[in-house]
Amino acid sequence: MLHLSNIDKYYDSKFQRTFVLKAVNMEVKEGDFLSIMGPSGSGKSTLLNIIGLLDQPSAGEYSLYDKSVLDLKEKVKVDYHRNFMGFIFQAYHLIEDMTVYENIETPLIYKGVKSRDRQAMVADLLDRFNMVAKKDLFPQQLSGGQQQLVGIARAIVGKPKLLLADEPTGNLQSVQGEMIMETLKTLNQEGMTIIQVTHNEKFAEYGKRIIRLEDGIIRKDEKS
Amino acid sequence: MQNIFKSTYRNFVRKPATNLINLGGLAVSLALVIILSVYSYSELTTDNFHKNGKRLYIYSDLNNEFKNLNTPAILKDQIDLNIPEIESSVRIAGTWEEPVFQVDDHDPITSDIITADPDFFKLFTYQAIEGNLEMALNDPLTIVLAEPLAKKLFGNEHALGKTLRINNKHTLTVSAVVKPPKDNSSLSFSSIASNDTRKIVYSNGSEFTEWGWWNFNLFVLLKEGANPTATAQKIAALFPKGDQGNENYKTYQLNHLNDLYFSNFTISWGDYLHGGDKRKVMILLMVAALVLIIALVNFINISSSQWLEKIKQTGVLKVIGADKISILRSVLSEAFILFLMALFLAILIVQLLFPFISSYTGIHFNPFLLFTPTFLIVSIAGIFLLSLIFSIIPAIRISSSKAVDNLKKTIHNGSSNSVSRGILVTAQFAIAIILIAFTVLVQKQIDFGSSNFRFDKESIIGIKLTPQLRDKKEVLKKLIGDNPSASKVSFSQFFPGKLNEHWSSFQQINGEKKQLNFDTFNGDASLYSMLGLQLVQGRFFSDDLVTDEHKMIVNETFVREHKMENPIGAKFVMGFGENPPLSEIIGVVKDFHYKPVTVPIGSLIIQNEPWSSYCLVSLNTSDFKSLNRFIQEIKSETSKLSPSFPVEISFLDQAVESLYQSEIQFRRTFSLFAGCAIVICCLGILAMSLFACQRRIKEIGIRKVNGAKVSEVLAMLNRDFVRWVAISFVIATPVAWYIMSKWLESYAYKTELSWWIFALASLLALGIALLTVSWQSWKAATRNPVEALRYE
Repeated sequence: MLHLSNIDKYYDSKFQRTFVLKAVNMEVKEGDFLSIMGPSGSGKSTLLNIIGLLDQPSAGEYSLYDKSVLDLKEKVKVDYHRNFMGFIFQAYHLIEDMTVYENIETPLIYKGVKSRDRQAMVADLLDRFNMVAKKDLFPQQLSGGQQQLVGIARAIVGKPKLLLADEPTGNLQSVQGEMIMETLKTLNQEGMTIIQVTHNEKFAEYGKRIIRLEDGIIRKDEKS
Repeated sequence: MQNIFKSTYRNFVRKPATNLINLGGLAVSLALVIILSVYSYSELTTDNFHKNGKRLYIYSDLNNEFKNLNTPAILKDQIDLNIPEIESSVRIAGTWEEPVFQVDDHDPITSDIITADPDFFKLFTYQAIEGNLEMALNDPLTIVLAEPLAKKLFGNEHALGKTLRINNKHTLTVSAVVKPPKDNSSLSFSSIASNDTRKIVYSNGSEFTEWGWWNFNLFVLLKEGANPTATAQKIAALFPKGDQGNENYKTYQLNHLNDLYFSNFTISWGDYLHGGDKRKVMILLMVAALVLIIALVNFINISSSQWLEKIKQTGVLKVIGADKISILRSVLSEAFILFLMALFLAILIVQLLFPFISSYTGIHFNPFLLFTPTFLIVSIAGIFLLSLIFSIIPAIRISSSKAVDNLKKTIHNGSSNSVSRGILVTAQFAIAIILIAFTVLVQKQIDFGSSNFRFDKESIIGIKLTPQLRDKKEVLKKLIGDNPSASKVSFSQFFPGKLNEHWSSFQQINGEKKQLNFDTFNGDASLYSMLGLQLVQGRFFSDDLVTDEHKMIVNETFVREHKMENPIGAKFVMGFGENPPLSEIIGVVKDFHYKPVTVPIGSLIIQNEPWSSYCLVSLNTSDFKSLNRFIQEIKSETSKLSPSFPVEISFLDQAVESLYQSEIQFRRTFSLFAGCAIVICCLGILAMSLFACQRRIKEIGIRKVNGAKVSEVLAMLNRDFVRWVAISFVIATPVAWYIMSKWLESYAYKTELSWWIFALASLLALGIALLTVSWQSWKAATRNPVEALRYE
């Protein structure tokens, strides 16, 4: 579904060019669960941002379903964000002014889903993550793991095909981290394609496939 | 939409302090803007309500120095015969003294009356409550009452067709009752009678038949398309030519009615025409604009700080599918909601506080204006525009920022931002300093005016002479003289705030022909010692009335303006009629403010004629109790002498003070608004210091860990604000100096612009700023640095 070829990302300063990613080639199939591993500064997040259309590569080709998605218009990009992919962040990035319920509901509002359908969809997810009792709380009132669950719920409520997770367990204790990984695994088993960035070896193992990045270059691409 | 309300509400609750500052400042400033703009609107649209207003003119001298409005009555007869361009003309005159009205045996009531020609209600639009206005002034001995007077005289009963006695002499029939106009009007009266009635009730020499009597104001209704300038020339041609008589008409023109109100005219018979002060209106409008600017600066500063905090959230929203437009819309509508809330609060404030503000500052307007659809539409549209203008730039910046950057928080609220904020705060302070300085100056000018009358006014009372008292002057004099509390008694026409006659005549003095223009009143021998006037040349009158008959005393201005080298002994004709007496100048007094100090001292002649309107009594006690007892005694005894006319007694110094009512009210208005401006300004820097401390909380922690003292941290946090105030002082001083000297220019007698005014204003501004800022800085500087550094 997703194809990257010869992706470069670099920053030019006065006399030298600093590469963050260099000649990255990668293909992700539908239903895949990919973990991107690597030390700090190896370009994992940049790669994920490029995949998520949040950042532009400096060179190379990127296509989704054989359609190039470079230099897209703002409007088309927004459409991809609304309908095709969901994001999870290390710092959860929930909206502090909104309740759990409203946080999950917001993407549906942008998508233009009718109020009644929204209620049903959010209620389903709350039920699934056992958070019905917490729906009127604000993010600060939840534990980190619960906040990340809300983050996941918000990411998948629009039924995206692709879920992008940037160190989803980075801020969590290991028990809560495992719970989050289990959730992701279940989602993958239900058919969702997932790409996660992590530097935790154990959590990387949850993926079906691990890519190891070092200084912007893919060193290893292996099935686990 | 519901979402926006909710998020606005939550944002408000999460940060109540800054949001309240923002909202409160906006609401207060909007309240001021509403009050002042509605007031200015009603002032600037004075007299616009007359249906024929477009063709309505007054024949007068408004464009020239003396701003004379008076014309001879006989002119109308000539106009009616000779000038077809004039559809109708109406002469209006007041009376020298307010008459006394009485219905049956009820208590007599003193109120004003004007007389006019029958077409009055054709020219001026009034609404009748009872009676038919077209016919109301046709018959002699009829009277039209304004509603308040009708209520006083007849209670809630119908007044139409009933009779009342005027001055205990004539019986008039009420032919109509009119409502006073809702809108501002330069013309006001509590009763109006026809000029035919005037001939009977106020028979006054040959004022209707001779060209020399200039007692009327002439309003004309031009025919459609008639040229006022040409018509005025035609009117001027009607005056008889010759050596004798008044030649003031040569500068007369037809002035549009709408030009009357702000023309600063003088009126010499009655006070049925009121003027306004355009300068005051403009200054207040400017103040309103300045206060609004201060509040808007707060809005910009506070909101932009909040939006910076929000920028991360915007990134999240974008990632989960928000497009530019929806983010733009939400930022804009949040601003609009804040402004809308401020508007409703402002209307509430105006509603609650208007009675107080109106009595304190003397600003009047019809409060129902606030609930007219026009006002609501205009104000909401204005609010919409303001919120759009002042949030569109940050809104665009936020909505077009890149999601990744937002999430990484790499948007710098860097130096350019703090520079622009510094500029804004500096502007705010400059405005505040100007306003403070101006307030001080207005106060100084008022003090200056009220301490420089050049005559004594303490412990003097005036008894207004009713017709019955006037006939018994000797009895009254003896009665007061017998009272041990009274030291001197004087009969005169002079009383502060009462009208002086203004005469113009063409005279032969010492062989020279001269146009004389002067104010005049009658006085007697004791007036001078009572008021403590000083003589420059000659002598005062003596009590020996026989030898001093037809003698006059003039003031220095008279001598100077009429270029008389040797005034003593100069003789000229005073008065009109068959054989006017030849009067002689016997003395010159030093100038004193017989008119309010806001107007220049004019040429004055004090005549030694017996006609007087006040009995002035100087008292040798200032003890409140004995004063009060004396007044009670005098009142009961004079009431016996004047059974049909109520006797009024007033203090000279209070009468003087009431002359400065409008100055005092202007000062109050100004200081109230300047005070608001300063408070809003303070709220603004309070919010700024809140943000600054929050933003630098880590820096403060690090500095403290590295050994900075509390005082050093305080100095660091306050340095910016002090610098801003210093810069604003530099900017404000020349601007304030310019505005203030312009303002002072219009006063005939003015105080100086001292340097300490500016110093005081700046020190006040600096003090207030430091106090406000230090409150926050102290909290931040004394915090345990560990708390600040613990979280990352």
